[in-house]
Amino acid sequence: MLYTACIMNSKLNTPDDIAFGQKGYSWRKDFKVNGWLFVAAVISGLCDIMFRHVVKQWPMGWQTAIVVAEFLAIWLWTRDVRAWVHGMDELHRRISVSSILFAVCATFFVMMFWHGLDRAGLFNVIFRQPGKVGWDVCTPTHGFLLMILFYIGGQAFFNRRYK
Amino acid sequence: MKNKLRELRGVKEWSQSDLADKLDVSRQTINAIETEKYDPSLPLAFKIARLFKLKIEDVFESGRD
Repeated sequence: MLYTACIMNSKLNTPDDIAFGQKGYSWRKDFKVNGWLFVAAVISGLCDIMFRHVVKQWPMGWQTAIVVAEFLAIWLWTRDVRAWVHGMDELHRRISVSSILFAVCATFFVMMFWHGLDRAGLFNVIFRQPGKVGWDVCTPTHGFLLMILFYIGGQAFFNRRYK
Repeated sequence: MKNKLRELRGVKEWSQSDLADKLDVSRQTINAIETEKYDPSLPLAFKIARLFKLKIEDVFESGRD
């Protein structure tokens, strides 16, 4: 009973539901799980990368609203991911939770490591860019991308362990 | 943890998919349990034992002496 309490439809959820290119991939399920991530990525991509300098000139209220909107979307996304993982059987849940934990930890360490190298001025020396450095990966967009990459890697690793 | 799931399933002439459907789990879970790569949770272990009308210790045994 515990394992079927939060299934998003009549059958058990599996990691393949949202793994693009896999046999069980479903656009509908992917959108249901990752819709809010897409919204957050679009907001972050537009405001943190593409129009970063324009947004910096906006009033503080607007900038605050953007940050709140990003975090609200991320919060809603984590809620959907939680429901999706809860609707899996216990082995897939274990694989998914392990992959998510690995992705979050690996993203955190890579971003901290990269940020440290950036602050130490390593990229200034390598790319000969005095003053402003354009190698900052500590934005939400970079974080999303790194986390997704690490999740896919973790999923492949943990999935192979139980095959 | 060692188990007799494959033999018990063979006696009933069920496929891994049949057993997975009866237990509300995926076929990969059944395969992982049979190959002893994954130890099921206590609720699932009880569910398996109940399905075969056996005690839990008749299906699963600890690897330790």
